[in-house]
Amino acid sequence: MKKKKAVVAAALCVVMAGSVLAGCGGGSASTAESGAAAGESGAASSVEASTDDLNVMVETPVESLDPQQATDGTSFEVIADYTDGLMQMDAEGKPINAIAKDYKVSDDGLTYTFTLRDDAKWSNGEPVTAKDFVFGWQRAVDPAVASEYNYMLSDIGQVKNAADIIGGKKDKSELGVKAVDDTTLEVQLNVPVSYFLSLMYFPTFYPVNEEFFNSCKDTFATSPDTVLSNGAFILDDYQPAATAFHLKKNPDYYNADSVKLAGLNYQVIQDSQTALMNYQSGSLDTTLVNGEQVDQVKDDPAFQTIGAGYLWYVTPNVSKVKELANKNIRMALTMAIDREAITTDVLKDGSIPTYTAVPLQFATGPDGSDFSGDQDKFKDVCAYDADKAAEYWKKGLEELGIDKLSLSMVVDSDDAPKKVATVLKEQWEKALPGFEVTLDVKPKKQRVEQLQDGDFELGLTRWGPDYADPMTYLGMWYTDNPNNYGLWSNADYDKIIDECTKGETAQDPEKRWTTLYDAEKIVMDDAVILPLYTQANAEMISPSVTGIEFHPVALNRVYKNAVKAASK
Amino acid sequence: MKKYTIKRLITSLFTLLVIVLILFVLMKLMPGSPFNDEKLSEDMRAALYAKYGLDQPVIVQFFRYVGNLLRGDLGVSYNISKNTPISQLVQTRLPISLGIGFAAVVFGALVGLILGLIAALKHDTFIDTICTIISVIGVSVPSYVFALFLSYEFGFQLGWFPILFNARKAFTSSVLPSISLSMFTMASIARFTRSEMMEVMGSDYMLLAESKGLSGRALIFRHALRNALIPIITVLAPLIVDLMTGSLVVEKIFAIPGVGSLLVNAIQSNDYNVVIAMSFIYSAMYILIMLAVDILYGVIDPRIRLAKKGD
Repeated sequence: MKKKKAVVAAALCVVMAGSVLAGCGGGSASTAESGAAAGESGAASSVEASTDDLNVMVETPVESLDPQQATDGTSFEVIADYTDGLMQMDAEGKPINAIAKDYKVSDDGLTYTFTLRDDAKWSNGEPVTAKDFVFGWQRAVDPAVASEYNYMLSDIGQVKNAADIIGGKKDKSELGVKAVDDTTLEVQLNVPVSYFLSLMYFPTFYPVNEEFFNSCKDTFATSPDTVLSNGAFILDDYQPAATAFHLKKNPDYYNADSVKLAGLNYQVIQDSQTALMNYQSGSLDTTLVNGEQVDQVKDDPAFQTIGAGYLWYVTPNVSKVKELANKNIRMALTMAIDREAITTDVLKDGSIPTYTAVPLQFATGPDGSDFSGDQDKFKDVCAYDADKAAEYWKKGLEELGIDKLSLSMVVDSDDAPKKVATVLKEQWEKALPGFEVTLDVKPKKQRVEQLQDGDFELGLTRWGPDYADPMTYLGMWYTDNPNNYGLWSNADYDKIIDECTKGETAQDPEKRWTTLYDAEKIVMDDAVILPLYTQANAEMISPSVTGIEFHPVALNRVYKNAVKAASK
Repeated sequence: MKKYTIKRLITSLFTLLVIVLILFVLMKLMPGSPFNDEKLSEDMRAALYAKYGLDQPVIVQFFRYVGNLLRGDLGVSYNISKNTPISQLVQTRLPISLGIGFAAVVFGALVGLILGLIAALKHDTFIDTICTIISVIGVSVPSYVFALFLSYEFGFQLGWFPILFNARKAFTSSVLPSISLSMFTMASIARFTRSEMMEVMGSDYMLLAESKGLSGRALIFRHALRNALIPIITVLAPLIVDLMTGSLVVEKIFAIPGVGSLLVNAIQSNDYNVVIAMSFIYSAMYILIMLAVDILYGVIDPRIRLAKKGD
């Protein structure tokens, strides 16, 4: 018996010691495993990070590398790192030739004929042909693919038959895009689209090689082996939802001489403190900085604020809440907001106070000026003036026959919007006697659902531009537009928008531009949108790096012209 | 014992099935859908629902899901990594969380055991006080505070370890997260070991063993520690699952591509399949570990083993 006990005790010791060893072994086994995984994906190439790589931080992982399925900024940015479309953006965001070396527009503005360069190649050696574009575009409208950005071809791009194909009424082969020969692509539009060329750098319009796609099928764009590059870089280390991935320079890129970086080393970091530490220790060349960190880094020459294009605004539910149907109440609300205080004291990230329905710095007109450069044009109806606000408020309450009002505002549970909402509540309750605001904080998905269902009183929301034209914002206030959450409707307004999209004005850029101002004036005069600010991102960009191009539309960051000085 | 194990296994399987059903119902009750995006129109949402079969009645979806599950198919992600099979996502992420969690458990349990033993043997001395202070700090300070502290001191200031997880340097970059995660385990095990050891050492049979002239080491390891281990294993089991399933905050701080952050991101974006799959895997692991613990009891404590035989 005693002996048996001794054996058990000894066995126990062995088990314990074993667990220690297993512990260490577990650690090293996982090392070996991940090492093997990394080795596997990098088998074709060396993935060892080079010192000439640009080390980039992004906040969210890639959701999809399939150009026709991707919908988020990170995915678009990475896809564009290794894929060129017909056009690309220059530093100012204007479309310039990429795979297309020339294009012709018919007199009626309905036919675009692109001539493709003949030296563009996929990374498997196949040439990039017009057929690749036809295949990519047909995928974008194919109901079986259910691309979330298919409206880029139908509503926005107005490509012939796109809407019918998406709706299942026509076959995808009837899409208005045709490969005349290997280097000629002909596109038919329903109506002239003044910004059509600027859509061509949007990843939804990128080419996909059909043969290669068919060889991957379900695994397309999920690993370095299942994507093809025709752009400045080649993806050489990536796994779905990876927190770190790598691209190297594409030596066969038609414009390889101009690409100075050896590669791009992406790191997904969700914690802003970790990101900043990594930047400061030199392992990142760029990083985003949040509002609380701005004070500690704002004097650093590497600190920059970069326009992000998003307009944040409050949308009042004019159709369901009778108090908000009263224009004086809405005027009081918008005049009581101190937008400066929100951007300088709360956000601190370089966001710009905005007093127009179209945000700043994303749409440049035929004369080269910013559509919303003049922020004073609606100062009579949208400015900070607490006295005037109180007057409107009094008048509004009188008209409604009430002396106090409480409303709820639905807001995202993310940090910045929550803070902004708290300040808005304070400002309103201070300036407007008898006003009480309750904040209804919801996860973003749910906030969006509530707005879409019209289940809200006030909503704090944002909108990012899909293309570099004021219409991406003004189109929202059209009667029955799904993003016209408050269900506001104005026949004059609709008429102007129709005129600028389908009418004669659509073909006259100067006239269209001034007519769009008229439309904006209607929404602003009626205070159906309470604009707050144009979002900016605070970033640290290492002084040794130059030439990163930032854009508020489509591709937020373009690295192919970036240069990194030799490390010290 | 065999009969008992089989019985437990069958109950476990049934429990898992019920869990999937509950998860399914919970998903349906969750406000919003995977496809609530400003840019999506009504028609588009309907098309996406149809594409993924979400337009079908819940019960149909449930049985189809279970059917797929039995074939090892966990479905695809709707949002986090569009159309990627979840098995593929889990495959790359679970080993990382398991590795770091396992290292944390082993480190925490060992150090905790040693601290507890020393504290018990030298109780009411200066050393005991120090051990107690360490345990109190370990229990009360959350792991992400340790994580931030460690990454700042040893990663940023001293530069001994990487601040970020790096698959190519998995071992060195796992050190800081593992230690951060192990602190709670270490402290609880230390406290538990100390009190259990004190109790056991005060018991009659220890007095008997001592009076029989057993030497110190045999006394402590063969008699005292073994009896003290049973409650310790009970506390350790859930801690193991906790650590192995990944910690959201520590994963976020060290940018670890683990399963903890995957689940939270999935919940935030209503990525139903990922949420269900991850919760299912967690439940399965929990049930499995609890089963293992029950069986382990028998191995360690003859009283339990004998009682089972009597069943």
